[in-house]
Amino acid sequence: MTISTNVEASREQRNSSDQYPSRIARAASVLSGTALAALGLTRRGWTRTTLAASGGYLVYRGITGKAAPYKGAVRVAFTIDRPTEEVYSFVRDPQNWPRFLQGIEMEPGQEGSLKLSLGKPAGLDICSEAIVTDERDHEHIAWSSLPGALQHRGVIRFRRAPANRGTEISVAFEYRVPAGPVGRALGLLVGWDPEQLVRESLRHLKQLLEAGEIPTTLGQPSGARGVKGKALRVIYREREDEEIRLAGD
Amino acid sequence: MKALCWQGKNNVQVETVDDPKVLNPRDAIVRITRTAICGSDLHIYDGYIPTMEPGDILGHEFMGEVVEVGSEVKRLKVGDRVVVPFTIACGNCYYCKNQLWSLCDNSNPNAWIAEKMYGYSPSGLFGYSHMLGGYAGGQAQYARVPFAEVGPIKVPDGLSDEQVLFLSDIFPTGYMGAENCDIKSGDVIAIWGCGAVGQFAIRSAFMLGAEKVIAIDRFLERLNLARKANADVLNYNEVDDVVEELKWMTGGRGPDACIDAVGMEAHAHSVPALYDRAKQAMMLSFDRPLVLRQAIQACRKGGVVSIPGVYGGFLDKIPFGAAMNKGLTLRMGQTHMMKYMQPLLERVQKAEIDPSFVITHRLSLEEAPQAYETFRDKEQQCIKVVLDPWKEAKAA
Repeated sequence: MTISTNVEASREQRNSSDQYPSRIARAASVLSGTALAALGLTRRGWTRTTLAASGGYLVYRGITGKAAPYKGAVRVAFTIDRPTEEVYSFVRDPQNWPRFLQGIEMEPGQEGSLKLSLGKPAGLDICSEAIVTDERDHEHIAWSSLPGALQHRGVIRFRRAPANRGTEISVAFEYRVPAGPVGRALGLLVGWDPEQLVRESLRHLKQLLEAGEIPTTLGQPSGARGVKGKALRVIYREREDEEIRLAGD
Repeated sequence: MKALCWQGKNNVQVETVDDPKVLNPRDAIVRITRTAICGSDLHIYDGYIPTMEPGDILGHEFMGEVVEVGSEVKRLKVGDRVVVPFTIACGNCYYCKNQLWSLCDNSNPNAWIAEKMYGYSPSGLFGYSHMLGGYAGGQAQYARVPFAEVGPIKVPDGLSDEQVLFLSDIFPTGYMGAENCDIKSGDVIAIWGCGAVGQFAIRSAFMLGAEKVIAIDRFLERLNLARKANADVLNYNEVDDVVEELKWMTGGRGPDACIDAVGMEAHAHSVPALYDRAKQAMMLSFDRPLVLRQAIQACRKGGVVSIPGVYGGFLDKIPFGAAMNKGLTLRMGQTHMMKYMQPLLERVQKAEIDPSFVITHRLSLEEAPQAYETFRDKEQQCIKVVLDPWKEAKAA
């Protein structure tokens, strides 16, 4: 998939991150590789070979620093049963962003740029700054990140849906995270999945505009959860420590 | 408050939990006056519904009095007596606007789980797994009802709780099962399963113009209750082959439509049945689609197979060649409750039907754990259990 935006990430920028992954990423690669190899050596047969070999590879990459950044592409589309003008205006208004963005904090920066924060999973402050590279009212908004560890660029499109079904809103973007698949795997471990964040943000947007509120069960009563119940709540992303969102009021 | 909580397979307990609060502007809190155990709750009890969490409050058939409303609730007020449908719907999305209420786009907070399993998410349901919303259910003293202006219907004072309680699920579910059959005057309808949904499907099929209804089950009390509604009965324990028997009973044509009011935990005494049980026991499948196989095989050419029975996952050895080559229509889905509640309430008001006929057990909430066991084992001729959450348990 290609996304056409007006800004092409420069070759130097890509190369620099290819060649020099952060120290943290390299350390992570060495550590996880060692753990994997050690686990492999305690096993028998094919498991042993596979785990040990993968572990060894991660250690090698960690030490040599040859970790290509992980490149990902995300496409998410929703149909919202509201007029295109209304959806576009709602999305464009920074005051509405905290109401529907899920796991992403975004605020206007200087000179029309956007400041993004992905919170602090595992204490890592993941921030990025982006600029709008192209925009046409009620049709699309394209963006690209400014130089930084996290690179991303993409486009939000608004299109009238057939048969008076409202507006098709789609987000398509590419991103690069340092430290390759290890970086991405670590991200997933702490609940950072770009596809999930964007999909749930768009879902919240749809729910707000159509139903006037975002459905929730956080704060409802339950019996004793026990260890198993609490573990399942993490897996189903229903953690109680999340802020209870009283949407629409 | 007191609530019945799921704590694992074959383990439900009455626990003291927090009272529910209004969490969203369109919520209401209902003080529950009557609640029931549904046959589909037994699928949860037996451990066949995925994405349950220990501590979940069960129950999706309940009614009561509104005691609190959120800031955006105008059409309901404190003191209103309402029946709450088991499906939760926003009322504003494409599906709600097109009367496909159980497919509402906006009522499942965990839609992503359902999307992984089913491609798209159906509506949220009360007390029926986290994939379908994870909403606390109504086998409790109070419940929080989201989108309270859309689902609950007010009931007139002249009708008792027992007469209107089943508008929450089983009466509309049986009715939609029959309506999906496209019944024309003179049709013959075969219905597998004479539990509560089957009983309402039998009566609804007659209301919609069926000439003959063949009710299939193995429990005499259920077959007797079917007979009271003028159904012909077929005890599958007493015949060699249900499909052949149906052919014999319908002049060699086969039923015009077949209703599977059983779902994923069908019983029978046959080699395929043993095979399904073994697969379920090994967690290779959640479903035992024995009835669906028979219904497809038995249905006449060009007929309809209607499936109100609940299935969860992947079905094995479905005779799809028979369905295709006989040109069958298959209809299914969770009930589009809000389409049926008002018209069926009117039928109750006009005394065309008194849904309380199906009740066999009236108990307190404290007695619910025992009632689940009794209902599962079909002991004491149990067909339908109604609970009063405020009644003190009878001293043993």
